Amino acid sequence: RPTIDRELLESLPNLKVIGNSGVGVDHLDLKMISSFGVKVTNTPHAVADPTADIGMALMLASARRLVEGCQIAVSPDTKHFAVDWLGVEVTRATLGIIGMGSIGYKVAQRARAFNMRILYHNRNRRRKEEEEAVGAHYCEKMEDLLQQSDFVMLIVNLTPETRRLIGKKELGLMKPTATLINISRGAVIDQDALVEALQSKVIRAAALDVTYPEPLPRDHPLLKLNNIIITPHIGTATVQAIHMMAEEAIANILAVLNGQPIPSEV
Amino acid sequence: MWYHKPVVNKELLQSLPNLRIVASSGVGIDHLDLNLLSSFGVKVSNTPFIVSTDTADLGMALMLASSRRLVEGYEMAVSPDTEYFPADWLGAEVSGATLGIVGMGTIGYKVAERAKAFEMKILYHNRSQRKKEEESAVGAVYCKKIDDLLQQSDFVLLAVNLTPQTHKLIGKRELELMKPTATLINISRGLVVDQDALVEALQNKVIKAAALDVTYPEPLPRDHPLLKLKNVIITPHIGSATKKTRRIMMEEMTESIQAGIAGLPIPHEVL
Repeated sequence: RPTIDRELLESLPNLKVIGNSGVGVDHLDLKMISSFGVKVTNTPHAVADPTADIGMALMLASARRLVEGCQIAVSPDTKHFAVDWLGVEVTRATLGIIGMGSIGYKVAQRARAFNMRILYHNRNRRRKEEEEAVGAHYCEKMEDLLQQSDFVMLIVNLTPETRRLIGKKELGLMKPTATLINISRGAVIDQDALVEALQSKVIRAAALDVTYPEPLPRDHPLLKLNNIIITPHIGTATVQAIHMMAEEAIANILAVLNGQPIPSEV
Repeated sequence: MWYHKPVVNKELLQSLPNLRIVASSGVGIDHLDLNLLSSFGVKVSNTPFIVSTDTADLGMALMLASSRRLVEGYEMAVSPDTEYFPADWLGAEVSGATLGIVGMGTIGYKVAERAKAFEMKILYHNRSQRKKEEESAVGAVYCKKIDDLLQQSDFVLLAVNLTPQTHKLIGKRELELMKPTATLINISRGLVVDQDALVEALQNKVIKAAALDVTYPEPLPRDHPLLKLKNVIITPHIGSATKKTRRIMMEEMTESIQAGIAGLPIPHEVL
Protein backbone atom coordinates (compact mmCIF):
# COMPACT_ATOMS: atom_id res chain seq x y z
CA ARG A 1 0.00 0.00 0.00
CA PRO A 2 -0.68 2.42 -1.60
CA THR A 3 -1.30 0.62 -4.87
CA ILE A 4 1.12 2.10 -7.38
CA ASP A 5 -0.87 2.44 -10.57
CA ARG A 6 -0.95 4.75 -13.53
CA GLU A 7 -3.36 7.23 -11.91
CA LEU A 8 -1.17 7.62 -8.85
CA LEU A 9 1.99 8.18 -10.89
CA GLU A 10 0.26 10.65 -13.16
CA SER A 11 -0.89 12.61 -10.10
CA LEU A 12 2.70 12.81 -8.76
CA PRO A 13 4.73 14.36 -11.61
CA ASN A 14 7.69 15.19 -9.36
CA LEU A 15 8.00 11.70 -7.93
CA LYS A 16 11.62 10.54 -8.20
CA VAL A 17 11.72 7.34 -6.20
CA ILE A 18 9.59 4.67 -4.59
CA GLY A 19 11.39 3.35 -1.52
CA ASN A 20 9.91 -0.07 -0.87
CA SER A 21 10.26 -1.54 2.61
CA GLY A 22 11.04 -5.23 2.46
CA VAL A 23 12.78 -7.05 -0.36
CA GLY A 24 9.90 -8.34 -2.53
CA VAL A 25 8.86 -6.15 -5.45
CA ASP A 26 6.37 -8.52 -7.08
CA HIS A 27 3.55 -6.10 -6.21
CA LEU A 28 5.14 -3.36 -8.35
CA ASP A 29 4.82 -3.00 -12.12
CA LEU A 30 8.48 -2.19 -12.67
CA LYS A 31 8.14 -1.50 -16.40
CA MET A 32 5.31 0.95 -15.88
CA ILE A 33 7.06 2.76 -13.06
CA SER A 34 10.25 2.98 -15.09
CA SER A 35 8.32 4.52 -17.97
CA PHE A 36 7.54 7.44 -15.65
CA GLY A 37 11.26 7.84 -14.89
CA VAL A 38 10.73 6.82 -11.28
CA LYS A 39 13.33 4.67 -9.54
CA VAL A 40 12.47 1.77 -7.23
CA THR A 41 14.54 0.67 -4.24
CA ASN A 42 14.08 -2.12 -1.67
CA THR A 43 15.65 -3.16 1.66
CA PRO A 44 17.35 -6.54 1.17
CA HIS A 45 19.72 -6.33 4.11
CA ALA A 46 17.20 -5.59 6.82
CA VAL A 47 15.02 -8.56 6.01
CA ALA A 48 17.54 -11.37 5.80
CA ASP A 49 18.08 -12.33 9.46
CA PRO A 50 14.49 -12.10 10.71
CA THR A 51 13.14 -13.94 7.67
CA ALA A 52 15.72 -16.71 8.03
CA ASP A 53 14.75 -16.92 11.71
CA ILE A 54 11.06 -17.31 10.84
CA GLY A 55 11.94 -20.07 8.37
CA MET A 56 13.73 -21.93 11.15
CA ALA A 57 10.92 -21.17 13.62
CA LEU A 58 8.32 -22.63 11.24
CA MET A 59 10.39 -25.71 10.50
CA LEU A 60 10.92 -26.43 14.19
CA ALA A 61 7.34 -25.63 15.19
CA SER A 62 5.94 -27.88 12.48
CA ALA A 63 8.32 -30.78 13.08
CA ARG A 64 7.78 -30.78 16.84
CA ARG A 65 4.05 -30.03 16.59
CA LEU A 66 4.50 -27.01 18.79
CA VAL A 67 1.15 -25.33 18.15
CA GLU A 68 -0.78 -28.56 18.71
CA GLY A 69 1.28 -29.16 21.84
CA CYS A 70 0.42 -25.73 23.22
CA GLN A 71 -3.25 -26.42 22.62
CA ILE A 72 -3.03 -29.70 24.52
CA ALA A 73 -1.08 -28.09 27.36
CA VAL A 74 -3.79 -25.47 27.98
CA SER A 75 -6.95 -27.31 26.93
CA PRO A 76 -9.61 -27.66 29.65
CA ASP A 77 -10.04 -31.31 28.59
CA THR A 78 -6.42 -32.35 29.13
CA LYS A 79 -6.05 -34.81 32.00
CA HIS A 80 -2.64 -36.26 31.21
CA PHE A 81 0.03 -35.95 28.55
CA ALA A 82 0.03 -38.90 26.15
CA VAL A 83 3.35 -40.75 26.01
CA ASP A 84 2.91 -41.80 22.38
CA TRP A 85 2.42 -38.27 21.07
CA LEU A 86 5.37 -37.71 18.74
CA GLY A 87 6.84 -35.27 16.27
CA VAL A 88 9.74 -35.67 13.86
CA GLU A 89 13.37 -34.73 14.25
CA VAL A 90 15.04 -31.66 12.84
CA THR A 91 18.63 -32.52 13.86
CA ARG A 92 20.30 -34.61 11.15
CA ALA A 93 17.30 -34.38 8.84
CA THR A 94 17.65 -33.23 5.22
CA LEU A 95 16.70 -29.64 4.38
CA GLY A 96 16.16 -28.68 0.75
CA ILE A 97 16.42 -24.93 0.16
CA ILE A 98 14.82 -23.68 -3.03
CA GLY A 99 16.26 -20.23 -3.63
CA MET A 100 19.71 -19.71 -2.18
CA GLY A 101 19.89 -15.92 -2.09
CA SER A 102 20.82 -13.94 1.03
CA ILE A 103 17.93 -15.29 3.06
CA GLY A 104 18.40 -18.86 1.82
CA TYR A 105 22.06 -18.75 2.70
CA LYS A 106 21.34 -17.53 6.22
CA VAL A 107 18.86 -20.38 6.64
CA ALA A 108 21.61 -22.77 5.55
CA GLN A 109 23.98 -21.29 8.14
CA ARG A 110 21.42 -21.86 10.88
CA ALA A 111 20.40 -25.31 9.72
CA ARG A 112 23.99 -26.45 9.63
CA ALA A 113 24.21 -25.95 13.40
CA PHE A 114 21.42 -28.52 13.71
CA ASN A 115 23.62 -31.01 11.78
CA MET A 116 21.11 -30.94 8.95
CA ARG A 117 22.06 -32.25 5.55
CA ILE A 118 21.56 -29.27 3.24
CA LEU A 119 20.55 -29.47 -0.42
CA TYR A 120 19.80 -26.39 -2.49
CA HIS A 121 18.37 -25.47 -5.85
CA ASN A 122 19.07 -22.08 -7.36
CA ARG A 123 19.18 -20.37 -10.74
CA ASN A 124 22.96 -20.33 -10.38
CA ARG A 125 25.27 -22.45 -8.37
CA ARG A 126 27.03 -20.76 -5.47
CA ARG A 127 30.81 -20.63 -5.22
CA LYS A 128 32.54 -23.71 -3.81
CA GLU A 129 33.71 -21.88 -0.67
CA GLU A 130 30.19 -20.70 0.01
CA GLU A 131 28.82 -24.23 -0.40
CA GLU A 132 31.50 -25.71 1.80
CA ALA A 133 31.01 -23.11 4.53
CA VAL A 134 27.48 -24.41 5.11
CA GLY A 135 27.89 -27.95 3.80
CA ALA A 136 25.32 -27.39 1.06
CA HIS A 137 24.97 -29.69 -1.96
CA TYR A 138 23.74 -28.21 -5.24
CA CYS A 139 20.81 -29.91 -6.94
CA GLU A 140 20.74 -28.76 -10.54
CA LYS A 141 17.40 -30.48 -10.91
CA MET A 142 14.78 -29.44 -8.41
CA GLU A 143 13.33 -32.97 -8.61
CA ASP A 144 16.44 -34.38 -6.93
CA LEU A 145 16.02 -31.96 -4.05
CA LEU A 146 12.31 -32.71 -3.68
CA GLN A 147 12.82 -36.46 -3.58
CA GLN A 148 15.51 -36.40 -0.90
CA SER A 149 14.35 -33.69 1.49
CA ASP A 150 12.60 -34.07 4.82
CA PHE A 151 11.96 -30.32 4.83
CA VAL A 152 11.57 -28.23 1.67
CA MET A 153 11.89 -24.48 2.23
CA LEU A 154 10.91 -21.95 -0.44
CA ILE A 155 12.99 -18.79 -0.43
CA VAL A 156 12.74 -17.57 -4.01
CA ASN A 157 11.44 -14.18 -5.10
CA LEU A 158 8.17 -14.15 -7.00
CA THR A 159 8.69 -13.78 -10.73
CA PRO A 160 6.87 -15.20 -13.75
CA GLU A 161 9.31 -18.13 -13.56
CA THR A 162 8.63 -18.94 -9.92
CA ARG A 163 4.85 -18.49 -9.98
CA ARG A 164 3.35 -21.92 -9.10
CA LEU A 165 6.85 -23.36 -8.92
CA ILE A 166 5.47 -25.95 -6.51
CA GLY A 167 2.42 -27.70 -7.90
CA LYS A 168 0.87 -31.15 -7.95
CA LYS A 169 3.85 -32.72 -9.69
CA GLU A 170 6.39 -31.26 -7.28
CA LEU A 171 4.32 -32.16 -4.22
CA GLY A 172 4.01 -35.68 -5.59
CA LEU A 173 7.80 -35.94 -5.81
CA MET A 174 8.24 -35.01 -2.15
CA LYS A 175 8.49 -37.71 0.53
CA PRO A 176 5.18 -38.50 2.25
CA THR A 177 7.01 -37.71 5.51
CA ALA A 178 8.19 -34.31 4.26
CA THR A 179 7.18 -30.82 5.32
CA LEU A 180 6.86 -27.81 2.97
CA ILE A 181 7.81 -24.43 4.43
CA ASN A 182 7.06 -21.21 2.54
CA ILE A 183 8.66 -17.91 3.50
CA SER A 184 8.71 -16.49 -0.03
CA ARG A 185 5.36 -15.52 -1.59
CA GLY A 186 2.04 -17.35 -1.53
CA ALA A 187 1.84 -17.44 -5.33
CA VAL A 188 4.98 -19.58 -5.56
CA ILE A 189 2.77 -22.49 -4.55
CA ASP A 190 -0.29 -23.79 -6.38
CA GLN A 191 -2.49 -23.50 -3.31
CA ASP A 192 -5.25 -25.79 -4.57
CA ALA A 193 -2.67 -28.50 -5.25
CA LEU A 194 -1.29 -27.95 -1.75
CA VAL A 195 -4.71 -28.39 -0.15
CA GLU A 196 -5.19 -31.66 -2.00
CA ALA A 197 -1.70 -32.89 -1.12
CA LEU A 198 -2.23 -32.15 2.57
CA GLN A 199 -5.69 -33.71 2.63
CA SER A 200 -4.46 -36.88 0.93
CA LYS A 201 -1.28 -37.04 3.05
CA VAL A 202 0.86 -36.83 -0.09
CA ILE A 203 3.14 -34.76 2.16
CA ARG A 204 3.15 -34.74 5.96
CA ALA A 205 2.60 -31.07 6.67
CA ALA A 206 3.09 -27.47 5.59
CA ALA A 207 4.10 -24.30 7.41
CA LEU A 208 3.35 -21.04 5.62
CA ASP A 209 4.23 -17.47 6.53
CA VAL A 210 2.78 -16.37 3.19
CA THR A 211 -0.38 -17.22 1.29
CA TYR A 212 -2.38 -15.81 -1.58
CA PRO A 213 -4.24 -13.69 -0.70
CA GLU A 214 -3.29 -12.49 2.77
CA PRO A 215 -5.30 -13.11 4.80
CA LEU A 216 -6.96 -16.14 3.24
CA PRO A 217 -10.76 -16.06 2.96
CA ARG A 218 -12.12 -17.36 6.27
CA ASP A 219 -13.70 -20.38 4.62
CA HIS A 220 -10.51 -21.47 2.84
CA PRO A 221 -9.73 -25.18 3.21
CA LEU A 222 -6.15 -24.42 4.32
CA LEU A 223 -7.55 -22.98 7.55
CA LYS A 224 -9.33 -26.21 8.41
CA LEU A 225 -6.48 -28.69 7.97
CA ASN A 226 -4.71 -29.90 11.08
CA ASN A 227 -1.39 -30.61 9.38
CA ILE A 228 -0.64 -26.99 8.58
CA ILE A 229 0.52 -23.94 10.47
CA ILE A 230 0.06 -20.48 9.03
CA THR A 231 1.55 -17.25 10.34
CA PRO A 232 0.37 -13.79 9.22
CA HIS A 233 3.38 -12.78 7.06
CA ILE A 234 5.60 -11.94 10.01
CA GLY A 235 8.96 -12.68 8.38
CA THR A 236 10.17 -9.16 9.11
CA ALA A 237 7.85 -8.34 11.98
CA THR A 238 10.40 -7.48 14.64
CA VAL A 239 11.10 -4.14 16.24
CA GLN A 240 14.68 -4.29 15.04
CA ALA A 241 13.77 -5.17 11.45
CA ILE A 242 11.20 -2.39 11.17
CA HIS A 243 13.82 0.14 12.24
CA MET A 244 16.41 -1.26 9.89
CA MET A 245 13.99 -1.32 6.97
CA ALA A 246 13.05 2.29 7.60
CA GLU A 247 16.70 3.30 7.77
CA GLU A 248 17.57 1.34 4.66
CA ALA A 249 14.60 2.77 2.74
CA ILE A 250 15.47 6.32 3.80
CA ALA A 251 19.12 5.88 2.85
CA ASN A 252 18.03 4.69 -0.57
CA ILE A 253 15.59 7.56 -1.05
CA LEU A 254 18.14 10.17 -0.02
CA ALA A 255 20.72 8.68 -2.36
CA VAL A 256 18.32 9.04 -5.27
CA LEU A 257 17.34 12.59 -4.38
CA ASN A 258 20.99 13.60 -3.90
CA GLY A 259 22.12 11.96 -7.12
CA GLN A 260 24.43 9.57 -5.27
CA PRO A 261 25.05 5.82 -5.85
CA ILE A 262 21.93 3.97 -4.79
CA PRO A 263 22.53 1.11 -2.33
CA SER A 264 19.61 -1.11 -3.32
CA GLU A 265 18.08 -0.05 -6.57
CA VAL A 266 15.81 -2.62 -8.17
CA MET B 1 9.15 -46.78 33.20
CA TRP B 2 7.89 -43.77 31.27
CA TYR B 3 7.65 -40.34 32.81
CA HIS B 4 7.19 -40.81 36.52
CA LYS B 5 4.95 -43.84 36.35
CA PRO B 6 4.69 -46.11 38.09
CA VAL B 7 5.64 -44.37 41.33
CA VAL B 8 8.58 -46.34 42.67
CA ASN B 9 8.10 -46.39 46.45
CA LYS B 10 8.72 -48.78 49.33
CA GLU B 11 5.39 -50.63 48.84
CA LEU B 12 6.07 -51.28 45.19
CA LEU B 13 9.60 -52.53 45.84
CA GLN B 14 8.43 -54.77 48.69
CA SER B 15 5.82 -56.29 46.37
CA LEU B 16 8.44 -57.06 43.72
CA PRO B 17 11.13 -59.07 45.54
CA ASN B 18 12.71 -60.27 42.30
CA LEU B 19 13.04 -56.85 40.75
CA ARG B 20 16.58 -56.41 39.40
CA ILE B 21 16.43 -53.16 37.52
CA VAL B 22 14.36 -50.06 36.93
CA ALA B 23 14.99 -48.70 33.46
CA SER B 24 13.88 -45.08 33.33
CA SER B 25 13.13 -43.24 30.08
CA GLY B 26 14.92 -39.98 29.40
CA VAL B 27 17.86 -38.50 31.28
CA GLY B 28 16.21 -37.07 34.42
CA ILE B 29 16.15 -39.26 37.51
CA ASP B 30 14.80 -36.73 39.98
CA HIS B 31 11.63 -38.81 40.34
CA LEU B 32 13.57 -41.81 41.68
CA ASP B 33 14.77 -42.31 45.25
CA LEU B 34 18.18 -43.76 44.46
CA ASN B 35 18.99 -44.56 48.09
CA LEU B 36 15.75 -46.48 48.47
CA LEU B 37 16.34 -48.48 45.30
CA SER B 38 19.90 -49.21 46.32
CA SER B 39 18.72 -50.47 49.70
CA PHE B 40 16.55 -53.01 47.86
CA GLY B 41 19.48 -54.03 45.65
CA VAL B 42 17.69 -52.72 42.56
CA LYS B 43 19.78 -51.15 39.82
CA VAL B 44 18.75 -48.04 37.87
CA SER B 45 19.41 -47.04 34.26
CA ASN B 46 18.41 -44.03 32.16
CA THR B 47 18.83 -42.92 28.52
CA PRO B 48 21.16 -39.97 29.01
CA PHE B 49 22.56 -38.85 25.68
CA ILE B 50 20.02 -39.78 23.06
CA VAL B 51 17.58 -37.12 24.26
CA SER B 52 20.10 -34.31 23.94
CA THR B 53 19.64 -33.08 20.39
CA ASP B 54 15.84 -33.23 20.40
CA THR B 55 15.71 -31.37 23.69
CA ALA B 56 18.13 -28.74 22.42
CA ASP B 57 16.01 -28.43 19.26
CA LEU B 58 12.91 -27.90 21.35
CA GLY B 59 14.69 -25.23 23.41
CA MET B 60 15.44 -23.39 20.17
CA ALA B 61 11.88 -23.95 18.94
CA LEU B 62 10.44 -22.44 22.13
CA MET B 63 12.80 -19.47 22.01
CA LEU B 64 11.90 -18.73 18.38
CA ALA B 65 8.18 -19.33 18.85
CA SER B 66 8.02 -17.10 21.90
CA SER B 67 10.13 -14.30 20.49
CA ARG B 68 8.30 -14.15 17.17
CA ARG B 69 4.87 -14.71 18.76
CA LEU B 70 4.29 -17.73 16.58
CA VAL B 71 1.34 -19.22 18.46
CA GLU B 72 -0.45 -15.85 18.65
CA GLY B 73 0.30 -15.26 14.99
CA TYR B 74 -1.10 -18.65 14.03
CA GLU B 75 -4.29 -17.92 15.97
CA MET B 76 -4.64 -14.62 14.14
CA ALA B 77 -4.02 -16.27 10.77
CA VAL B 78 -6.81 -18.80 11.26
CA SER B 79 -9.29 -16.83 13.39
CA PRO B 80 -12.76 -16.38 11.87
CA ASP B 81 -12.63 -12.71 12.95
CA THR B 82 -9.44 -11.81 11.08
CA GLU B 83 -10.05 -9.35 8.24
CA TYR B 84 -6.52 -8.11 7.64
CA PHE B 85 -3.06 -8.51 9.12
CA PRO B 86 -2.08 -5.42 11.18
CA ALA B 87 1.16 -3.76 10.11
CA ASP B 88 2.20 -2.80 13.64
CA TRP B 89 2.13 -6.32 15.06
CA LEU B 90 5.73 -7.07 16.04
CA GLY B 91 7.86 -9.63 17.80
CA ALA B 92 11.50 -9.45 18.85
CA GLU B 93 14.57 -10.69 17.04
CA VAL B 94 16.43 -13.84 18.06
CA SER B 95 19.39 -13.29 15.73
CA GLY B 96 22.02 -11.19 17.46
CA ALA B 97 20.33 -11.30 20.88
CA THR B 98 21.97 -12.50 24.12
CA LEU B 99 21.20 -16.03 25.30
CA GLY B 100 22.03 -17.04 28.88
CA ILE B 101 22.24 -20.81 29.34
CA VAL B 102 21.85 -21.99 32.91
CA GLY B 103 23.26 -25.51 32.98
CA MET B 104 25.87 -26.20 30.32
CA GLY B 105 25.75 -29.99 30.24
CA THR B 106 25.26 -31.99 27.05
CA ILE B 107 21.91 -30.39 26.28
CA GLY B 108 23.01 -26.87 27.21
CA TYR B 109 26.05 -27.16 25.00
CA LYS B 110 23.99 -28.33 22.03
CA VAL B 111 21.72 -25.33 22.51
CA ALA B 112 24.82 -23.14 22.42
CA GLU B 113 25.97 -24.75 19.16
CA ARG B 114 22.62 -23.95 17.58
CA ALA B 115 22.31 -20.45 18.99
CA LYS B 116 25.76 -19.54 17.68
CA ALA B 117 24.49 -19.97 14.12
CA PHE B 118 21.92 -17.28 14.87
CA GLU B 119 24.81 -14.99 15.82
CA MET B 120 23.59 -14.90 19.39
CA LYS B 121 25.86 -13.72 22.16
CA ILE B 122 26.09 -16.70 24.52
CA LEU B 123 26.58 -16.53 28.29
CA TYR B 124 26.48 -19.59 30.50
CA HIS B 125 26.37 -20.48 34.16
CA ASN B 126 27.39 -23.94 35.33
CA ARG B 127 28.68 -25.67 38.44
CA SER B 128 32.06 -25.78 36.73
CA GLN B 129 33.55 -23.85 33.86
CA ARG B 130 33.91 -25.67 30.56
CA LYS B 131 37.28 -26.10 28.86
CA LYS B 132 38.55 -23.12 26.91
CA GLU B 133 38.29 -24.90 23.55
CA GLU B 134 34.70 -25.87 24.29
CA GLU B 135 33.87 -22.26 25.16
CA SER B 136 35.59 -20.88 22.05
CA ALA B 137 33.88 -23.36 19.77
CA VAL B 138 30.50 -21.80 20.59
CA GLY B 139 31.66 -18.37 21.67
CA ALA B 140 30.27 -18.87 25.16
CA VAL B 141 31.27 -16.61 28.04
CA TYR B 142 31.26 -18.07 31.57
CA CYS B 143 29.30 -16.26 34.26
CA LYS B 144 30.48 -17.52 37.62
CA LYS B 145 27.62 -15.64 39.25
CA ILE B 146 24.20 -16.41 37.89
CA ASP B 147 23.23 -12.79 38.59
CA ASP B 148 25.55 -11.55 35.84
CA LEU B 149 23.90 -13.90 33.35
CA LEU B 150 20.41 -12.91 34.44
CA GLN B 151 21.08 -9.20 34.14
CA GLN B 152 22.53 -9.35 30.64
CA SER B 153 20.37 -11.93 28.88
CA ASP B 154 17.51 -11.39 26.46
CA PHE B 155 16.71 -15.10 26.75
CA VAL B 156 17.41 -17.23 29.83
CA LEU B 157 17.32 -20.95 29.09
CA LEU B 158 17.28 -23.51 31.93
CA ALA B 159 19.00 -26.80 31.06
CA VAL B 160 20.06 -28.02 34.52
CA ASN B 161 19.06 -31.32 36.08
CA LEU B 162 16.79 -31.22 39.10
CA THR B 163 18.67 -31.68 42.37
CA PRO B 164 18.23 -30.20 45.85
CA GLN B 165 20.61 -27.43 44.72
CA THR B 166 18.60 -26.51 41.63
CA HIS B 167 15.17 -26.75 43.25
CA LYS B 168 13.57 -23.28 42.87
CA LEU B 169 16.82 -22.01 41.38
CA ILE B 170 14.79 -19.32 39.64
CA GLY B 171 12.62 -17.45 42.13
CA LYS B 172 11.41 -13.92 42.74
CA ARG B 173 14.93 -12.56 43.19
CA GLU B 174 16.26 -14.12 40.02
CA LEU B 175 13.25 -13.04 37.97
CA GLU B 176 13.70 -9.46 39.14
CA LEU B 177 17.34 -9.52 38.10
CA MET B 178 16.26 -10.38 34.58
CA LYS B 179 15.58 -7.63 32.03
CA PRO B 180 11.92 -6.61 31.72
CA THR B 181 12.30 -7.44 28.01
CA ALA B 182 13.67 -10.92 28.72
CA THR B 183 12.11 -14.34 28.13
CA LEU B 184 12.54 -17.38 30.40
CA ILE B 185 12.70 -20.76 28.66
CA ASN B 186 12.51 -23.97 30.69
CA ILE B 187 13.45 -27.33 29.20
CA SER B 188 14.73 -28.80 32.46
CA ARG B 189 12.19 -29.57 35.20
CA GLY B 190 9.21 -27.59 36.45
CA LEU B 191 10.56 -27.50 40.01
CA VAL B 192 13.68 -25.58 38.96
CA VAL B 193 11.38 -22.56 38.80
CA ASP B 194 9.34 -21.16 41.69
CA GLN B 195 6.09 -21.28 39.76
CA ASP B 196 4.17 -18.88 41.99
CA ALA B 197 6.95 -16.32 41.64
CA LEU B 198 6.87 -16.86 37.88
CA VAL B 199 3.13 -16.22 37.70
CA GLU B 200 3.56 -12.96 39.59
CA ALA B 201 6.53 -11.89 37.47
CA LEU B 202 4.60 -12.52 34.26
CA GLN B 203 1.46 -10.79 35.52
CA ASN B 204 3.42 -7.71 36.56
CA LYS B 205 5.59 -7.72 33.42
CA VAL B 206 8.73 -8.10 35.54
CA ILE B 207 9.84 -10.24 32.62
CA LYS B 208 8.36 -10.20 29.14
CA ALA B 209 7.41 -13.82 28.61
CA ALA B 210 8.04 -17.47 29.41
CA ALA B 211 8.12 -20.63 27.31
CA LEU B 212 7.90 -23.87 29.28
CA ASP B 213 8.18 -27.48 28.15
CA VAL B 214 8.05 -28.53 31.79
CA THR B 215 5.89 -27.53 34.75
CA TYR B 216 5.04 -28.88 38.16
CA PRO B 217 2.89 -30.88 38.07
CA GLU B 218 2.39 -32.11 34.51
CA PRO B 219 -0.18 -31.34 33.41
CA LEU B 220 -0.96 -28.24 35.46
CA PRO B 221 -4.36 -28.12 37.12
CA ARG B 222 -6.81 -26.72 34.60
CA ASP B 223 -7.47 -23.62 36.66
CA HIS B 224 -3.78 -22.74 37.11
CA PRO B 225 -2.95 -19.07 36.45
CA LEU B 226 -0.11 -20.02 34.05
CA LEU B 227 -2.70 -21.36 31.60
CA LYS B 228 -4.44 -18.01 31.44
CA LEU B 229 -1.49 -15.69 30.86
CA LYS B 230 -1.03 -14.33 27.37
CA ASN B 231 2.74 -14.09 27.63
CA VAL B 232 3.36 -17.81 28.26
CA ILE B 233 3.61 -20.74 25.92
CA ILE B 234 3.53 -24.23 27.40
CA THR B 235 4.25 -27.48 25.62
CA PRO B 236 3.38 -30.88 27.12
CA HIS B 237 6.92 -32.10 28.00
CA ILE B 238 7.83 -33.06 24.46
CA GLY B 239 11.58 -32.49 24.66
CA SER B 240 12.38 -36.00 23.48
CA ALA B 241 9.12 -36.69 21.65
CA THR B 242 10.27 -37.70 18.19
CA LYS B 243 9.86 -41.05 16.51
CA LYS B 244 13.55 -41.79 16.05
CA THR B 245 14.60 -40.77 19.52
CA ARG B 246 11.82 -42.66 21.29
CA ARG B 247 12.71 -45.76 19.35
CA ILE B 248 16.34 -45.51 20.40
CA MET B 249 15.30 -44.82 24.00
CA MET B 250 13.26 -48.03 23.97
CA GLU B 251 16.22 -49.94 22.52
CA GLU B 252 18.53 -48.57 25.20
CA MET B 253 16.07 -49.36 27.97
CA THR B 254 15.67 -52.89 26.64
CA GLU B 255 19.45 -53.36 26.53
CA SER B 256 19.78 -52.15 30.09
CA ILE B 257 17.00 -54.45 31.26
CA GLN B 258 18.48 -57.47 29.53
CA ALA B 259 21.89 -56.76 31.03
CA GLY B 260 20.35 -56.19 34.46
CA ILE B 261 18.49 -59.47 34.40
CA ALA B 262 21.57 -61.35 33.18
CA GLY B 263 23.71 -59.81 35.90
CA LEU B 264 25.98 -58.21 33.29
CA PRO B 265 27.37 -54.64 33.34
CA ILE B 266 24.45 -52.30 32.62
CA PRO B 267 24.73 -49.70 29.86
CA HIS B 268 23.65 -46.27 31.08
CA GLU B 269 23.55 -47.33 34.70
CA VAL B 270 22.83 -44.54 37.15
CA LEU B 271 25.15 -44.90 40.08
